[in-house]
Amino acid sequence: MALRARLSTVNPERTILLRGATRPGIIVEEAEAPMSQLPNDVFVLRWLGLGVDTDLPATMAGEQCEILYQTCGTQSFGGLDRGRALSEMDEELLAIIEPFHTAKLNYASTPPATMLTQVFWDEPAFSPVSIQRDRMSRATTVVVYSYQEQGE
Amino acid sequence: MSATWFQSPAPVARRVRAYFAPVNRSTQSTVLFDPSQQGHFSLDAPPAPWISLGWIQKFTRKSLSKNAPLMAGIPAAPLEQIRETLEAQLCCEFLSWTKLTMALATGSQHMNVLAAASGATASADGAQAVPAMIPEAGSSATQLLLAASDAAKFQAGSMVAVDVDNTGQTGYVGSPVAGAYVRQAIADVDYIRRVTFNVALVAAVSSSGLMLAEPLPGGIPLAGDKVQAVMGFVDREGGSFYQEWSALFVLEGSQGERLFFHYPRLQAASGAEETVIPLNSKHQNGQSRVLLNGRFNAMPVTDPLDSERVVCYRSFLPAANALV
Repeated sequence: MALRARLSTVNPERTILLRGATRPGIIVEEAEAPMSQLPNDVFVLRWLGLGVDTDLPATMAGEQCEILYQTCGTQSFGGLDRGRALSEMDEELLAIIEPFHTAKLNYASTPPATMLTQVFWDEPAFSPVSIQRDRMSRATTVVVYSYQEQGE
Repeated sequence: MSATWFQSPAPVARRVRAYFAPVNRSTQSTVLFDPSQQGHFSLDAPPAPWISLGWIQKFTRKSLSKNAPLMAGIPAAPLEQIRETLEAQLCCEFLSWTKLTMALATGSQHMNVLAAASGATASADGAQAVPAMIPEAGSSATQLLLAASDAAKFQAGSMVAVDVDNTGQTGYVGSPVAGAYVRQAIADVDYIRRVTFNVALVAAVSSSGLMLAEPLPGGIPLAGDKVQAVMGFVDREGGSFYQEWSALFVLEGSQGERLFFHYPRLQAASGAEETVIPLNSKHQNGQSRVLLNGRFNAMPVTDPLDSERVVCYRSFLPAANALV
């Protein structure tokens, strides 16, 4: 949600129409209906590996987050601007992951409750561009850390 | 009931920020950092007179103080401990090359290469310089008012040094940071502007003067100050001068906690050294980044609180709601 808010500031025009609502163009794959193909011009978050350090005063979890995005460029340029469009998404991603932390929120309650600790993450690791016909895509990996609080 | 505290693990920090403040060498006055009043400053806007040195890496500090037991009795057994020596050293790599970082990482005095006068005889420290210009009244730390003919001699993107003429002064010279110690009078009228830290980049030139991209470290030019164009910087291996500064290193943890290392007095412990790091680790002979190495000796001060002699203060401001 923090990245979503930051994206709406960095580029309010990057949006997605989902279930009849226009939202900032960043979604969590597991929180949406299964899709055969990822949407273009949108950031898709996918949670992968998990590591836990239980030796600390508060257990720390580190979860690998893959951020996928792809583009075919714009129709007005016949897709010839797809390289630039992907670069724009690279820059937006760099902009929204800074600062490298955000408040930890508990979404079990409504409205979400701000917890005591912060979620934080590492620098992103960008994969090489993948090209499939006129579609250019990239996956970026970030390890996200959080501390377990009382009652969790 | 929701939790109101958490057990805080060891701080997790990505990088270290360094700050510089000048030591008045004549009066041996250092700059203090007060964690109670200044602990929550914005890392991009440090409280005056601290100046950011940017991010650093490979920050390591080591206590070299030696403790020894005071033995008593037969057979001798430790009665108590005494501190035999008080020493500390720290190392870091500066991630930027600026006048300040170069000067601090150099074991000796650091000089400005002044723009050379036409036909001047070559010199390793920079040839005889173009004559200095007098800033007009009304100049500020960010704007140097000059006669139109003088302003026309500068271009945007050039650098300037602002300080007084050398008229045979001895002792510490340069403002606001002592740039050298002059043991006997030197003839070069521009010597103080060669060693001064009062330098800045020119952002724009107009017929009325120069707009600076950053404030002069010395603030508003004083009476007697003159302006000269700077081409670059030069330092030497050797010499007898040791730069001294007050240092502050800040680590900001992932939970908002802050760790400060305040060294009231630091002096270089080695000559100028660089580390070369390839940008691409798989291409060792390719483009490489050249980093300034700094190794420093911490010098003691007397803490007025209890008159103890110390070399460093480590302050920790825990994260909000963290158990202490």
